Amino acid sequence: MSKYELPKRFDYKDIDILKQFITETGKIIPARVTGVSASNQRKLTKSIKIARFLALLPYTDMHQ
Amino acid sequence: MKKYEAVIVLNPNLSTKVDEFKKDFEKLLKDNSFSIVKTEDIGRRQLAYSIANHNKGHYILFNLEGDPSKLLEIETKIKYNESIIRHLFLVVKEHNGTDSSLLIESKNKKSDTSESVSKTESEELVAEEPKNEDVAEESTNSEEEKENE
Repeated sequence: MSKYELPKRFDYKDIDILKQFITETGKIIPARVTGVSASNQRKLTKSIKIARFLALLPYTDMHQ
Repeated sequence: MKKYEAVIVLNPNLSTKVDEFKKDFEKLLKDNSFSIVKTEDIGRRQLAYSIANHNKGHYILFNLEGDPSKLLEIETKIKYNESIIRHLFLVVKEHNGTDSSLLIESKNKKSDTSESVSKTESEELVAEEPKNEDVAEESTNSEEEKENE
C-alpha cells in the first residue's frame, strides 16, 4: 500500500524513519506526495522539527 | 509531577569530562527535586550543521520526573553553562522503557568500527600482495626490454 515505513509512535530520535520524509535539500515532503494521513503528517512534522533543532537532521543543504 | 525527556548536547572537546558533568547535572536535578528515571549516554555524534563552530557533539539523554515550576531554575543554570551547546526539555506522557534508536545506532557503530579496523587490516594485506606481483612483473618486463635492446 504505502512504500514508506511508518512507526507505531513517532519519535524525533528515529532519524532513519524521518529521513524518508525529507528531500535531499532537507525540506519536509508534503503529504500529498507521500500519501501519509493528515494526523500522521502532523506528528511527523513535529518530530522532524525537533530533530532539526537538535542537529540530528539538517534544515537545509546550504549549511556551511 | 510531570515526566520529562531531556536531551543535552555537550561540547565535544569536553568528552573526557562527561562523567564529571553527569555528576554535576544529577546534583543540580536532585537539588531541584527532580528524579532521574534513566540516563542514556549516546556519545559523540556528527552534527547535521555546525553549532558554535562545533561539528560534533556529545549527546546525553535523560528521562526525568519532576515539578514544572522547578524546571525554570534548571534551565537558567544550563543557559550559563558553556559546556552545553544545545539542550531541550520535552514533556512526555510515558517514558519509553526501551533504548532509543540513537543509542542502538551508536552502539552498532562502535562494534562496526572495531570490525572494520580488522577488516581493513586484512584488506591491506591482500592489497599489498598483488602490488608486489605487479612490481615483479614490471621488473621482468624491463629486463625483457633490456634484452630486446
